[in-house]
Amino acid sequence: MYEFLTNTWLLWLLSTSAALLWWRSRVSQLFRYIYHRYLLALGTLMLVSAIVFSLMEVLPGDCAEKMIAYKNTQGEVITQAQIDAERARMGLDRPLAVRWADWVSDLTLKGDLGFSCSKRQSVNAALGDRFWISFGFCIAGLLFAYLIAVPFGILSAWSLNKPWLDRKAHHAPARRLRNSLGLALSKCMDLQLRLISYLGLALPNFLLALSIILLYVFAGEPTPTGLFSEQWQGQPWFAASGFQWGKLQDFLGHIWLPILVIGWAATALQLQTVRALVVDESNKLYVEAARARGIDGVRLWARYPVKHSISPLFNSVGFDFQRIFNDLPIVAVVIGLTDAAALLIEALAMTNDQELAAGILFLVALAVISMNFITDVVLAIVDPRVRNSVMQGGGH
Amino acid sequence: MISLISRLHRRGQDRSEQYFTAGQFALIRARFLRNTTGVIAGTLLSALVLIGFFAPFFSPNAPGIEGANPDYRRGAPQAVRFCDANGCSLRPFTYTYVRETPKLDLSSLAGGDLSALDALTASGGLNASAQSRYVEQTDQRRYLQFWVSGWEYSLFSIDWLGIDIRSDIHLFGVEQGQIHLFGTDEDGKDVFSRTLHAIWVTISIAVVALIVKLITSLLVGGISGYFGGRVDAVLMAITEAVRVIPPIPIYLACAVALSQIELTPVQRYFAIAVMIGALDFTTLGRRLRTHILTERNQDYVLAARLSGASTGRIIWRHLVPSFSSYIIVDTLINFPYVILAETSLSFLGLGLTEPVNSLGVLLQKAQDPDIQQNMVWQFAPVGVFVLLIMAFVFVGDALRDAADPYSERRR
Repeated sequence: MYEFLTNTWLLWLLSTSAALLWWRSRVSQLFRYIYHRYLLALGTLMLVSAIVFSLMEVLPGDCAEKMIAYKNTQGEVITQAQIDAERARMGLDRPLAVRWADWVSDLTLKGDLGFSCSKRQSVNAALGDRFWISFGFCIAGLLFAYLIAVPFGILSAWSLNKPWLDRKAHHAPARRLRNSLGLALSKCMDLQLRLISYLGLALPNFLLALSIILLYVFAGEPTPTGLFSEQWQGQPWFAASGFQWGKLQDFLGHIWLPILVIGWAATALQLQTVRALVVDESNKLYVEAARARGIDGVRLWARYPVKHSISPLFNSVGFDFQRIFNDLPIVAVVIGLTDAAALLIEALAMTNDQELAAGILFLVALAVISMNFITDVVLAIVDPRVRNSVMQGGGH
Repeated sequence: MISLISRLHRRGQDRSEQYFTAGQFALIRARFLRNTTGVIAGTLLSALVLIGFFAPFFSPNAPGIEGANPDYRRGAPQAVRFCDANGCSLRPFTYTYVRETPKLDLSSLAGGDLSALDALTASGGLNASAQSRYVEQTDQRRYLQFWVSGWEYSLFSIDWLGIDIRSDIHLFGVEQGQIHLFGTDEDGKDVFSRTLHAIWVTISIAVVALIVKLITSLLVGGISGYFGGRVDAVLMAITEAVRVIPPIPIYLACAVALSQIELTPVQRYFAIAVMIGALDFTTLGRRLRTHILTERNQDYVLAARLSGASTGRIIWRHLVPSFSSYIIVDTLINFPYVILAETSLSFLGLGLTEPVNSLGVLLQKAQDPDIQQNMVWQFAPVGVFVLLIMAFVFVGDALRDAADPYSERRR
C-alpha cells in the first residue's frame, strides 16, 4: 500500500487538484476559468515533453552504446550483438512513441525524470538541488531586471516628449528653475539608461561575463568564477561555531557576477517593454479625462497609466524567466558554474546524455508553464479587466 | 501628423496633396527620415554592410591562413601615425616591426642538468609570448599606400550565372610587408581583415535565418488564422509548447546532430542559418494568426472570395500585405537576436567553424587565459560588432516608430 502510494503520488496530487477545481467550477465562473487553464497547462506540458523527448533523439548515440563503450575502456572486446542485447535489455529497441509513453508515465506517476547514462544514476539524483540553484539565479536575475526596469522605464516614459526646460510663463521663476533642474536631470538619466540598456542588448551575455573576467585578470585579482572560492568550497554552512558568515560573504562575492550578467540583457529588454507599455497607456483617452478632472503629477501617473501597464508586465513573467534561462548555459560555461544550466550544456554538447538534457529542458518548461498559470490566475482574481472578460467569456 | 502636415504646408500647397495621396511606405519613409538617431544609425549600418560586402577590398590582408604573416605572429596592433620624432608627413605611416630574438642561455643545459631546464622553463623564456616580442624600428617607416594591388579576390560573383568579377585592388596597404591594424593571432592571421570578413558572414546568416523564419511564420500563422477551428487549435498548441522551451539548448541539440554529418563549411553555415530561422516562428506566427483572424471577416476578403480567388491568393495577396509593415519591422528588430544566437553557437564551437569567419568563430578561443593575458587585441572584433548590433537596434526602433501610424499623435 505504502509502496503503491510512493509510486503514484504525483498522479494523485494532479488528479485531486483537478477534481477539486472541477467541483468548484460547477458553481463559480472563476474556478471554471482556473480549471480550464489547469487542463490547458497540463496539455501543453504533455506536448512539451513529447517535443523535448523526440528532439533528444537527434543527439548521437544511445544509452546502450555508452554502457558498452564503458566496458570497452575496461579492456573487453565488444560486438554489435552485445550492443543490440544491451539495447533490448534497456528497452531502447522499442519505437519512440512507446519509450516516450514510458517516460511520461513514470514522470506523471512519481515525478521520475528517467535515468542518466553518463552519470549512471537517476536524473533526479544527478540534478539534486542544482536545478534550484539555476532557478534561484534566474529569479534573482529577474528581480534585478524588474527592480531597475520598472521605475526607470516609467521615468523614461514620463520624460518622453517633455522639454528640457520649464518655460511656462505662469510659473514663478524659482519654480521654473526647480522644474527645469528636475526635467534636465530625468532626461539625462533617461538618455544614459537607454544607452546602457541598448549596450546590454548589443553585447552577448557571455561576452559581458568575459569582459568582467578580463578586468579581473588585468587587475591581477582572483576572478570570481564558480560559486565559492577554494577556501570555503568544502566548508559546511553551519560549523561548530554557529552560522558561517564568512561563507555567506564569499558566496555573495561570487553570485553577483552571474546575476548581473544575465540580469543586464533582461533589464534592457524589460526597460523597453515598460516604457512602451506606459507610453501606450498614457496616450489613452481615460488619462486625458483624468487630467481634465484636475488630477496631475505623480497621482495621475501612478493611478492611471502605470497601474494599468503593470498587469501585462506581470503576465510576461513566465516568458521572461524562459528568456533568462536561455542565456544561462553559456554564461555558466564562461563563469564556471556547476548548476543545472551547466549540466544541460554538458549533457547536450559533451556527453550526449539524452534523458538528462530532456529532464532539464522539461523542468524549465514546467517552471515557465506554472508561472504562466499562476500569473493568469492571479490576474483573473486581481485585475478587474481580466476578471470581467473571464466572467463573461466563461473560459478563455 | 499635424507637424508633418504643417511642415508640408510650408513647402508648398502641392506637397500637402502628396501627403494625402502618399502610400504607406512613402509615409513610413518620411517619418523615418525625421528621426535623427534613426538616420545616423541607418547611415552607419549601411556603411558597415557595404564594408562587409566588399570586405576583401577594404582589408589589406587575406583573412585565411594564406594571408597569415609568418613574421608577425601574436603581434600587437600597429599604430598608424602622421608625426613622430623624425618629423611629420601627410602620408600616414607605420613602423617596421622586427622580432626580438630572446637571448637564451643554453650553455647550462649542456651538462644534462635537469634543474637548469626547469629553471629555464620557469623563467618563462620559452613560452610563446616571450618568443614573439616585437620592437618597432622608429627609423624605418612604412608609408600607407592607397589603391594598391595585392592578393586577388572575387569582388562579386554569382555562381549560377557564371559572373565572377575578380580584382586585386585594395583600399590601402603598405609598401613592404603587411599592415595589421588590429594585430594578429597566434598563426599570424590579420584580426582586422578577419573582422571585416566576419561582418558579411554574420549579416548574411541573419538574412537567411530571417527569411526562413518569415516563411515558417507565414505558413503557421497564415494557415492557422485563415482556417481557424481545429487546425488553429492544433497549430497554436504546438506553437505554445515550442514557445516555452528555451531556444538556445534546442539549437545546441540540433547543432550537435549537425556535427555528426559530414558537411562542407558552407553547407554547415546554411544548415545553421536554416535551423535558427525555422525554430523561431512562434512570436511572429502568433501575431500573424491574430491579425488574419480579425481581418479574414472583412469585406474585402469576402469580395476576393466572391471573385473566385483561391485560399493561397487571398492569404498571400490580400491578408499578408495588410500586415507587411509590421512584418518588415519585426524582421529588422529580430536581426540582433539572430546574430547573437549564431554568435553563441559559434562561440561554443557548435556553429560555424574555422575557415568561415564570424564573430563567434573569432571569439572561440577567448576563454583561453593566454589570449586574455597576452593577446587582448583579439577582442577587437567585439567593438565592431557592438557597433553593428547597436546600429540594427536603433534602426529597428526608428522604423517601428515610423511604421506605427499613431506615433505622430503623441507629439
